[in-house]
Amino acid sequence: MSAAAPLRLALVGNPNSGKTALFNQLTGSRQKVANYAGVTVERKEGRLVSRSGRHYAVLDLPGAYSLHAASLDEAITRDLCRGYLPGEPAPDVLVCVVDATNLRLHLRFALEVRELGKPMLLALNMADVARRRGIHIDLAVLARELGVPVVETVAVQQNGSAALVEQLDRMAEGLQPPQRQIAQGADLHQETRRLLAAAVQMPTRTASIDGALDRWLLHPVFGLVALALVMFLIFQAVYAWAAPLMGVIAAATGWLGDSVGAVLPEGPLSSLLVNGVIAGLGGVIVFLPQILILFAFILALEESGYLPRAAFLLDRMMASAGLSGRSFIPLLSSFACAIPGIMATRSILDPRDRLATILVAPLMTCSARLPVYALLIGAFIPQRQVWGVFNQQGLVLFGLYVAGILSALMVSWVMKKWRRDKGEHPLMLELPSYRVPQVRDVLIGLWERAWIFLRRVGGIILALTILLWFLLSYPAAPGDGTLSAIEYSFAGRIGHAMTGIFAPIGFNWQICIALIPGMAAREVAVASLATVYALSAADDSAAAQALTPLIADGWSLATALSLLVWFIYAPMCISTLATIKRETNSWRKMSFATIYLFALAYGASFVTYQLAVLLGAG
Amino acid sequence: MSTSLLLQYFVIAVAVLLSVWVVAKRQFPGIVRKLRVAIALPLLREGRPAWMQLVGRWISPVKQTAADGCGGCDSCGPKI
Repeated sequence: MSAAAPLRLALVGNPNSGKTALFNQLTGSRQKVANYAGVTVERKEGRLVSRSGRHYAVLDLPGAYSLHAASLDEAITRDLCRGYLPGEPAPDVLVCVVDATNLRLHLRFALEVRELGKPMLLALNMADVARRRGIHIDLAVLARELGVPVVETVAVQQNGSAALVEQLDRMAEGLQPPQRQIAQGADLHQETRRLLAAAVQMPTRTASIDGALDRWLLHPVFGLVALALVMFLIFQAVYAWAAPLMGVIAAATGWLGDSVGAVLPEGPLSSLLVNGVIAGLGGVIVFLPQILILFAFILALEESGYLPRAAFLLDRMMASAGLSGRSFIPLLSSFACAIPGIMATRSILDPRDRLATILVAPLMTCSARLPVYALLIGAFIPQRQVWGVFNQQGLVLFGLYVAGILSALMVSWVMKKWRRDKGEHPLMLELPSYRVPQVRDVLIGLWERAWIFLRRVGGIILALTILLWFLLSYPAAPGDGTLSAIEYSFAGRIGHAMTGIFAPIGFNWQICIALIPGMAAREVAVASLATVYALSAADDSAAAQALTPLIADGWSLATALSLLVWFIYAPMCISTLATIKRETNSWRKMSFATIYLFALAYGASFVTYQLAVLLGAG
Repeated sequence: MSTSLLLQYFVIAVAVLLSVWVVAKRQFPGIVRKLRVAIALPLLREGRPAWMQLVGRWISPVKQTAADGCGGCDSCGPKI
């Protein structure tokens, strides 16, 4: 290798050992980290320049329990370490990252990696937590017995990887294979026990606080009650805490619209900016506080280590519905966006389980649905207290999320019956120690979430809003036209044509128009409604009115309920469908997903609307 | 038609065309790529004037590299 060529490092280790956190610290990246296994399913590459000026290419690999791969992500790790991956040179150094608080499990894999015979370094991650728990690890003895250098790292602390980089610089001077190999015929577990006995003093196998918390949080009854309570409180907070900030954003948007309208002369450009861009984007951006509050809770739960426990609690329910325990993480990811959720199904071994998870992932309530839900709930559900404590709007939002989850379980149950699958796949899950969420990590996560949302608002949502404004404004009404101008526009005509299909589920032509751009991004449905109503308004003061009171006056409760139900089921996102096609490599399966989700949405909305009309809400 | 109104229509036309481009690129990247290749190829043929080749190179899509696995939602969820 030439002196200038960067040394290739591969971070390997058991899932949830902190590889990605270490990768982020080494390379300055901001890859997703969480306190549960299976967050990384693809290899990622970054660059590191040490203080000595040496360049490294750092690879973050999916976590693996063994080099005898049992899943796609484990196979990637195995093949890359051995240099069998096409187009991917073998790494020069393997950095085996192990959780210092869970050496009994992680050392076993480190021994397997050592057997590859490549230059290797053991990073004892979470060394600070291990010390706090009274776990004493003799680094010199462990290094001697393993035959590879051992360093401590704390991936979530600044400079927590300094020792690792220094050791890498020393190793780079002359790469050496491991000094020891496992004895012929010896057992890995036996060797792990020998290493633990020689180098590690463990006062307690698990921290007492973990045990005390798990006694309650993993209890079959209290655990489920606690889980329901946590989820319930999150949705209450989304409504209770976001209201003041939403008011400020709505007022700022209104002021901006008025100011721009006052400055610009009356004409098409003023209409585009005030009724199109400001009304449309303002209608979406107002929901940013709610999205951020929801994600603050999700990020904190991810970091705390509670989510795998939730998976454990829900495993029986998921198994009886035909889903694998491994489906939990993909389905959980789908609450942010179905696309990473569908990609995360690569860790599911059984192809039929994987397909079932892919097909139900779009039923999880993604963050793009939140603006639509919030708009309709704000317009039709009175803001009052239930039983003196609970916010009624929060209760409805909670109900919509639960409806999505229950629908996913029902659909997977039907699929299980259909394929006559009686087999069950046991869930093997590593329960990490509880951790107090790091404020910095949560803030980074929130900043990323806000930035992604604002980028969407300034990108695809803005573009669609401009196009919709154009379609709603042209062609202009004829001189002898008796209807409002919007009725003669391209979009007005399309909306009226669509009512033939959607009238039985209570959708008016304005909703029909909003459904089309909503296919690109669900939030655009809200921006579209704002633009449609702003352009339909008889005068400027009516146009400046917020969307919520407009739809509250113009729609029946039955229509609002029907639209809410539609958004639980409808696959209103082309990107999700494209991902299903790519992950299943089948147009047939993608078509099946599209048809079944639309059929479910139409059927459920039809029943909801007709029932609501019968009960007098029409 | 007054100059002010003409200018307004011009700005709107540019905004609408840009929006069409953004939406097409995001929602139908494959079709847009094929379209760019189809337009660029005749412009890049041997013997074409330099300015035409320059336009062709500008239109032609960049070489595809290994995908990062993003399905098109622009990392709107957790990166995994």
